[in-house]
Amino acid sequence: MMNRFELLNLLQDTIQNEFVICNIGLPSQELYKINDRPNYFYMLGSMGLASSIGLGLSLTIDKNVISIDGDGSVLMNMNTLATIGNRAPSNYTLLIVDNGSYGSTGDQKTFTNESTSLKDVAIGAGCKNVIECSGEETNENLQKALADTNNSYVIISKIKSGNVPIKPIPLNAVTIRDRFRKEIGLVTYL
Amino acid sequence: MKFSQKIIANLKLGGADFFLSVPCKLLANMITILENDKDIYYSAIPREEEGMGICAGAYLGNKLPCIMMQNTGIGNSVNSIVSLLQLYQMPVVFLISYRGTPGEPVGAQGGMASVTEDILNTLRIPMLHCDTEQDLDKISTFTNHAKVIESPVAVLCNFNLMKDD
Repeated sequence: MMNRFELLNLLQDTIQNEFVICNIGLPSQELYKINDRPNYFYMLGSMGLASSIGLGLSLTIDKNVISIDGDGSVLMNMNTLATIGNRAPSNYTLLIVDNGSYGSTGDQKTFTNESTSLKDVAIGAGCKNVIECSGEETNENLQKALADTNNSYVIISKIKSGNVPIKPIPLNAVTIRDRFRKEIGLVTYL
Repeated sequence: MKFSQKIIANLKLGGADFFLSVPCKLLANMITILENDKDIYYSAIPREEEGMGICAGAYLGNKLPCIMMQNTGIGNSVNSIVSLLQLYQMPVVFLISYRGTPGEPVGAQGGMASVTEDILNTLRIPMLHCDTEQDLDKISTFTNHAKVIESPVAVLCNFNLMKDD
């Protein structure tokens, strides 16, 4: 099994030209270290809302939007799976990196390690095209989701826990905001 | 219905073009208006905190979002307001049905009512109090103000004003 850092590395060819909303903490820090891109929106706060932010963006632009979330964060904001199940447009993909642990806070176990299946929760919440797969299978499934212009997807990538030593992202929040919006075509002063 | 129409018209005049709500009976007429408005996006959602996230995404995509909710929803959303909307300087209009203000029949609403303005003050969120029909005329300028200052703003609609609408 691969860990999150290896998975994020593996996905770069697929996601580096897409609009990505990335979960707070180590996921964003790892993504920044692997391949910093202006079309990557790094969350610096508000744990749980990566899925919701990506949903809001996907409702307002025509391009693909990928929310990269974690199992702990989805557990914190599970009601938004119902909103996604009923409202997500076809350009929206939720990628849940499910390593069964709260990685950023010291790898304490989450309930996906016990009885909770986010796949079953997502299906029960009304999400269509819910795929649970291994880290190795994630790239192929994500490519399929991005290529499908008629359906939204929820992909749950089952990987192992573990983090790499890393520093906080040095970017200011408004810098992240503005360079992201410049990629959308809304900011012209940078 | 007259006040509800005026509120929605002023929000749109001020630039709001993306609406969410966690329903309240005082918002019911506004929701009916929005559900039949083809010019804007509207959806009900389960919880205010996720609404702050959806509004943040809609702002990144060039919308001026408005989330409609009871004042209790502010309590559900404090971290998302501070660590997302304010941290990234994102304008969002909170259209709040101010439960627990005089005229309110449900005593239990008094608790959140008594702390709502203190919370908004602590968060440094500009407030517009709507106690009379004339106050509703200020909503369009106040909505645009959110965009100018790149910050959430709160419109508080008192129970007595809305209860007979």
